[in-house]
Amino acid sequence: MKVELTINGDDYACDVEPDLTLLSFLRDVLGLTGTKWGCLTGDCGACTVLVEGEPVVSCLQLACQVQGREVTTVEGLETADGLDEVQAAFVSNGASQCGFCTPGMVMSVEALLRTNSSPDEAEIREALAGNLCRCTGYSKIVDAVLQAAAQRRSAAGSSAGNVS
Amino acid sequence: MPAVRTSELQVVGRRIPKLDAPEKVTGQIAYADDLRMSGLLEGAILRSPHPHARILSIDVSAAERLPGVRAVIHAGNVQQSCFGYGNDNMPLKGDKVRFIGDEVAAVAAIDEEVAKRAIDLIHVEYEVLPAVFDPYEALEDASPCIHDELADVSGNVSMRWDFDHGDVDAAAERAAVVVEGRYSAPQAAPAPIETHVVIASFSPSGHLTVWSPVHMVFMYRKALADVLGLDWRKITVIQPPVGGSFGGKIDIDTHDFIAVMLAKHARRPVRLAMSREEEFIGTRTRQPIHFRLRTGADAEGNLLFRDAEVVSDNGAYNAWGSHAMLVAMNTITSMYRVPNSRIRCAVVYTNKNYGGSVRGFGNPQATFAVEQQMEELADALGMDPMDLRLRNANQSGDVTPQGMEITSCGLSECLEIVREQSGWDERRGTMRDRHRGLGAAAFIHVGGGARIYGSDGCGAIVKVEESGQVTLISGSSELGQGSETALAMIVAEEIGVPIESVQVVNSNTDIKPWDVGVHASRTTFVAGNAARMAAAAARDKILETAADLLEARPCDLRVRDGVVEVADEPERRIDFGRAVRRRLLREEGSVVMATAFYDPPTHHQDKEYRGNISAAYGFGAHVAEVEVDPGTGMVRLLNLWTAHDVGRAINPMSCEGQIEGGAAMGVGLALSEELVMFDGQIAAPNLHDYGLPTSVDVPRTVVNLVETIDPLGPFGAKGVGEGGIIPPPAAIANAIADATGVRPREYPMRPWKVKHWIDSEERSHVIAGKDASGHG
Amino acid sequence: MADVFIPGSIEEAVAFLADHPATAMPIAGGTDILVDTRTGRSRPERLVDLSGLRGFGGFELDGELLRLGALTRIRSIELDAELARRAAALVEAARVLGSVQIRTMATVGGNLCHATPSAEMPPALLVHEAVAEITGASGRYSTPLADFFVSPGRTILAPGDLLTAVRARVPSSTSGSCYLRQTVRWSMDLAGVGVAASVHVKEGAVSKASVALSAVAPVPMVVAGAEDAVVGTDLGSDVLAEAGRRAAQACAPISDARGTADYRREVVSVLVPRALRIAWLRATASWPEGSPAPANGVWTGMWTGELR
Repeated sequence: MKVELTINGDDYACDVEPDLTLLSFLRDVLGLTGTKWGCLTGDCGACTVLVEGEPVVSCLQLACQVQGREVTTVEGLETADGLDEVQAAFVSNGASQCGFCTPGMVMSVEALLRTNSSPDEAEIREALAGNLCRCTGYSKIVDAVLQAAAQRRSAAGSSAGNVS
Repeated sequence: MPAVRTSELQVVGRRIPKLDAPEKVTGQIAYADDLRMSGLLEGAILRSPHPHARILSIDVSAAERLPGVRAVIHAGNVQQSCFGYGNDNMPLKGDKVRFIGDEVAAVAAIDEEVAKRAIDLIHVEYEVLPAVFDPYEALEDASPCIHDELADVSGNVSMRWDFDHGDVDAAAERAAVVVEGRYSAPQAAPAPIETHVVIASFSPSGHLTVWSPVHMVFMYRKALADVLGLDWRKITVIQPPVGGSFGGKIDIDTHDFIAVMLAKHARRPVRLAMSREEEFIGTRTRQPIHFRLRTGADAEGNLLFRDAEVVSDNGAYNAWGSHAMLVAMNTITSMYRVPNSRIRCAVVYTNKNYGGSVRGFGNPQATFAVEQQMEELADALGMDPMDLRLRNANQSGDVTPQGMEITSCGLSECLEIVREQSGWDERRGTMRDRHRGLGAAAFIHVGGGARIYGSDGCGAIVKVEESGQVTLISGSSELGQGSETALAMIVAEEIGVPIESVQVVNSNTDIKPWDVGVHASRTTFVAGNAARMAAAAARDKILETAADLLEARPCDLRVRDGVVEVADEPERRIDFGRAVRRRLLREEGSVVMATAFYDPPTHHQDKEYRGNISAAYGFGAHVAEVEVDPGTGMVRLLNLWTAHDVGRAINPMSCEGQIEGGAAMGVGLALSEELVMFDGQIAAPNLHDYGLPTSVDVPRTVVNLVETIDPLGPFGAKGVGEGGIIPPPAAIANAIADATGVRPREYPMRPWKVKHWIDSEERSHVIAGKDASGHG
Repeated sequence: MADVFIPGSIEEAVAFLADHPATAMPIAGGTDILVDTRTGRSRPERLVDLSGLRGFGGFELDGELLRLGALTRIRSIELDAELARRAAALVEAARVLGSVQIRTMATVGGNLCHATPSAEMPPALLVHEAVAEITGASGRYSTPLADFFVSPGRTILAPGDLLTAVRARVPSSTSGSCYLRQTVRWSMDLAGVGVAASVHVKEGAVSKASVALSAVAPVPMVVAGAEDAVVGTDLGSDVLAEAGRRAAQACAPISDARGTADYRREVVSVLVPRALRIAWLRATASWPEGSPAPANGVWTGMWTGELR
């Protein structure tokens, strides 16, 4: 089955098995192994990617169902200066230990901050409930999100010339 | 080594992000399943559907004929021998299967789908045998014998751990108050987000390379050779980055052997990746332990004795789990000063998935019993539980009944801190109308290695490049906990270079020096001391050269921020890298490289379980605050205050990370995590039914780092990896008791159990002494 | 390995499913179907991907009538402020279903058609008098949602039938609803017991009420006698307790890894009064507008009689 889609800004057209998941398409066909898997049943969130800016678990999404759509994976986040704000905040806050949940976690945070630029701690915890982390106990992840959100707000404020 | 004043430290004590964090947040780091190699086959395992059965025949002919299949192996066509404690296990079973999930055959094929189809084509004929799942039933004479082939095992008891100190019966006579209770811990799982993935490949010349996220790589290499009849000189073990272990990936497991046998038969590299279901069913768990515990004290609240009968339900085979009593025993005999103690423990075979080594290793289970009983005892005495704890707290200089020599101890300080922060004195016992309660628990755990092999040592090599970059080659490895960064910080501090100048190599057995492995919260202490020793030796070589160049004595020099200078005349200085080059690039030059091996000054336990097995012991205390919904039994954890004696925080951010993460696992144990089984079958082997805590279940944990500066730890540091997981089940149970007046007897304290206790008014059992009024 | 058919219209989808009754299965969000195929619970040979069909996603409010297209994403229900005011039970059920990722993918139709006994949407829709709109090979028809579920995993849909929309009644101002549940984890969990309730209040008394349950019977169920217990009252504690008792008697839970039958019955008798009470508070404008109830209905201060 022919699938055409955009991943991290690049257009791909591939012939794939009809029931291939987006996860396998990314990892096994394209070699984008930044997206991890931990369960293949939607419970852990390690495979979270954005489709049209919204978070999905790529293990439960068929590649053919994202036909014509835009997918963002962890490989698509870095800016010209290096890490984006969320990634940088994860580094500086110690929000990543073994790192296996981190790419999926970061993608969920990106999705959250696109819809809510100043989430409080409870909102952050609810938004990340679908991303299991076994290492950190979540507190440092919450700290990283709060910091990244604040940085993004101040960057947006200065570029727009106002502060909301 | 000289004592170091905190004010002099340049690197140690700073909140430095993990060295590998940028690779992790970008997804660039390659875990085992991310490795790509030419010709790689996918493996799959056929597991027993029966909890106990004799294998009558195995027919693999149809599987072998399936196009794309490159190897089909079973006990009849491989070379393998026994492994495990007591040699009771075999990679592929030929005679009997002993639990649902036991390995019977395996396939390597061109892809996962073909491998799975081939597995479905293998026909095994079983004679189903009666099975036993309850350890107390397994102790009965009429119970099915699970290991009838083992001559030296009688019935289903594979081991006993019995300990006696003093005279418990006489102490019980004297006691003003004795409390007695039963406490049970469930079957749980380490459940890292990355499942076990192993890749095995033989070179044309017969050299085996294995990529496995294991963290006792040298033991692993030897076990592969011993069990599979391979030449251990021709085995390389590479540890890719580990996507979480928590003990689950510590050592060799059946699938490791199977991957290697498949690669040998297929003559191609083979990957064996556990699905999440297999991770629960077929890799090691935290075994259930059942305690009947009595604690007695005199009227002033001095502990007089502990008396424990313990049954460890270790499952079908004896892996590491059989030795969890080693640690559980420490807590029963040595948590607080207990003058008399008695333990009778049986490790029992049952037809279930078997116990391995999971973070805390027997200690959360034992602490659940011991620390609930402290609060029950305090209530029976009419004393505040914190006062009771402080009165009996271990102190530096103590030698416990098991011979554990406590050389640094912040237990009392930890207790005082969480007491104050939680508002314990004003709030405990006052919130029952709101169904809220506070509960505490403390812990003792090894923090300076744990001598369970001939050596408890670790090797280190420090190599200084001509660029001035420093490479630490450590025998120890990184699991995500941040030990690599801590080791780099120790090296940077010792030499006097910035942290950016240090890199760590630690993943290949061909390169790195020997180490026992990562376990028992030992890495920062043991590998840290080794790294520090090697760093000091390398620095001294550079100082020798620099002294020539600066026309000074080596003892008058110091290294700061990558510059060697005369201590009293800092304008006389030379760049660190330049000193290295001057030593190297000359006639009769030499490289700057130093090795060290640190083996802590500890002793094996004797046959009576006495001996100072660790060079330092870690302590800590937690207070939990809960709100219990009496209608549904749902428990919300509102707050968790923690204080841990870490010796010295090499990297405070990593220490907090270990404690917060450990505490979250402890919260999971307390409230949700369990492998619920029906007739030996795990009911729902997935992460949500298992109850792995989410970001909503774990509250923000308050962490206090108490620095006691251990005399032997590197810069005073002690191990911190396991402490966090130990107190929460006990602290949360005590908080539930405070909130409701009923006494939890087992964890996880899932809603229907809590409701059942409330409705049936489960109470403490006070045998002697004062009336047990009050709560508990 | 399954083949995937991508229909261009609902008629094409219906025809394909009718032609392959034993082997084809519709897929929309995929969050249940792909888990089932992964764990071996079902092995469809052909998947009919409905997710691209136009005109079946999204919802509209027309007076008291809410019409939800079958392909409406759970996440869009969760985030809608108007629905939070008008159909609180539905929004509360949406909020606790799976994770953000699952809610982004999963559809209302999928949640209903998978017919999981513990599913979140059915009880919340049942108390809003929901009706299922179905298109099949023989044409279109409607049926009360209460008659839609047959047994775990089975609905009345014949091969070739597709659920296209659900209609629900969401009266304004003087009515309120609520969805509560018992779980092990506080998020990202399946309900051990799910309870939805709605009440209409006229002149200080209940004029109409409904209670529906999930996870305590083979199919989601409306509690037949609940309304009789509460109509005409102002929901005093005796009345609430009686409604709880009736619901506990009406349900038929089993014992499994998520709890025993007796426990579940007890929890029904506890959660039904709480859900009715919160619905009443909403109907009488005594609950903060648009504010969701805590998952188990216990709010801070509840025990001491404070209202939030």
